[in-house]
Amino acid sequence: MTDILARRTLEEPAAEQAIEDLHLLLEQLWLDAAFVPEPDRMAFTTAVIEAASNVVQHGIPAEGATLLLGVELTVAVARLRAVISEIGAAPMDPVPDLTGPTGPAALDDDALLEDYDESGRGLSMIRALVTTVTVEREGDTNIWVLSRDSGRN
Amino acid sequence: MEFTVQDKGHYTEVAANGRLNMVAAPSLRKVVDEVVSGGGKRIVVNLADTSFMDSSGLGALIGCLKLARQSGGDLRIAAVQPQVTMVLELTSMHRVLTPHASADDAFRND
Repeated sequence: MTDILARRTLEEPAAEQAIEDLHLLLEQLWLDAAFVPEPDRMAFTTAVIEAASNVVQHGIPAEGATLLLGVELTVAVARLRAVISEIGAAPMDPVPDLTGPTGPAALDDDALLEDYDESGRGLSMIRALVTTVTVEREGDTNIWVLSRDSGRN
Repeated sequence: MEFTVQDKGHYTEVAANGRLNMVAAPSLRKVVDEVVSGGGKRIVVNLADTSFMDSSGLGALIGCLKLARQSGGDLRIAAVQPQVTMVLELTSMHRVLTPHASADDAFRND
């Protein structure tokens, strides 16, 4: 069992305020885990905010339910982990593609600009910023698990 | 996030203070839209005090760049901090939104 050195949690309605609160939560986490190298903090923070923003922007509540965002952040010696829960959510349809290739960036700068797809960009950024990302459904909750090996070169 | 718009003579500076995330992204679009509507052609988004940007924030910058170019102008970014640089490079968008050292440098050679 890996020892948890720092932990922070949040659960609130999946709305804009939750994203601002999550930024503050991450700042508190890094105060408790000052040993985590800055590049790892930056990458993990960005991935967590992307995943939570995805819940707030695209999450669909199950009939009669209020959609909640749940976040659990943990820091172990060489592992940063975030469990991001979409509580009271309808099943994801389709389930996001977390395995496919991200594809090379367009060669031509004009094409790069025209092809920019904001919604697709968030997912490929998450995949690039963490070591593993999974999404599964448990009861009425869609659960994203992001994990980043910390201290890697 | 707070935006400060300032006429600098040969360009308009939009200084963005805070986190450019999904909450702030629509405000940036609105601010730049107003500058373009007011006849502003050269816009510099000063990111010196922007500590964080996500794909929504980047999407807003890209949208603002397109808007500026459609009106015959251009938009450039300046004083980019490390997390924003990471996002720009990860998405290859530094190729179309090339960071300049300071707001004054952005249109210096034009």
